[in-house]
Amino acid sequence: MSGPNEDNNTQLSSHIFGDLLDSIIVDVASECHRIAKLGLDRNLEEEEEEMRLSAQARARVADPSNSSETNTKYVVDIFGQTHPSVATEIFECMNCGRSIAAGRFAPHLEKCMGKGRKARLKVTRSSTAAQNRYLRGSPVSTYSPYSNSTSTNRLSNGTPSVAGEEYSNGTYEEPWNKT
Amino acid sequence: MSRPPPPPPPPPPTTNKDQQRQNPSLQEINIKLIQSGEKERLKELLRERLLECGWIDEMKALCRAFTRKKGRNNVTVDDLVHVISPKGRASIPDSVKAKLLQRIRAFLASTAD
Repeated sequence: MSGPNEDNNTQLSSHIFGDLLDSIIVDVASECHRIAKLGLDRNLEEEEEEMRLSAQARARVADPSNSSETNTKYVVDIFGQTHPSVATEIFECMNCGRSIAAGRFAPHLEKCMGKGRKARLKVTRSSTAAQNRYLRGSPVSTYSPYSNSTSTNRLSNGTPSVAGEEYSNGTYEEPWNKT
Repeated sequence: MSRPPPPPPPPPPTTNKDQQRQNPSLQEINIKLIQSGEKERLKELLRERLLECGWIDEMKALCRAFTRKKGRNNVTVDDLVHVISPKGRASIPDSVKAKLLQRIRAFLASTAD
């Protein structure tokens, strides 16, 4: 008895729901239309601008005729800063005590501390310090996040002279491991 | 001129007497919906649910993408409606649709009395 009536009801409900949905769709469409025409959606233009700029940057990067040296002098980063291609801040090498430019620091350290034949012959601090460093080479570098806190804690408590070697190893290893 | 209001049209003849009052036309239902304010409430409910589930944001994103491609000044409302409609109708979450249908059916049941 109520079978066909229920079907009718269901059909009616769906129809009414469709009406409501259409009405909301038109509302949303007209709102977006309004925003588009009035230019209220500033993101719209900004995105266009950004897409253009990123396409430009990509073209410049992909362009093989640009040499990286000369280009980095004139390319501006997202904050509007230009950086020289070789970092120019000057530090003191903790191994040999010389003043080195930051951009030249890594190659300097290579020669000064490690791989070179001449470096191995150099005795800067003490032979034991150098030996410890070579023996504990890789493990120490993995310790660096921990040695950060532990070594500073120990240092603040006052360093006993016996463990002085260890601390100096710690402090020597961690800064350049961090960088 | 004073004339008595015309009598309402007689209900269409039906085979089953029970169906006489229970099979009103869509137009009558619509009038009842609007007059009682239920249509507006239903629309607000639907809009609220669609907003919560992010459907409206999706539609707006579609509009923005279309506007960017076609150019801000060449877009018409009609364009946008055509952009949104198919995708929009298909991506209504089932829970939202069920809730609305439930309310509509409840209304129909209440007016059938």
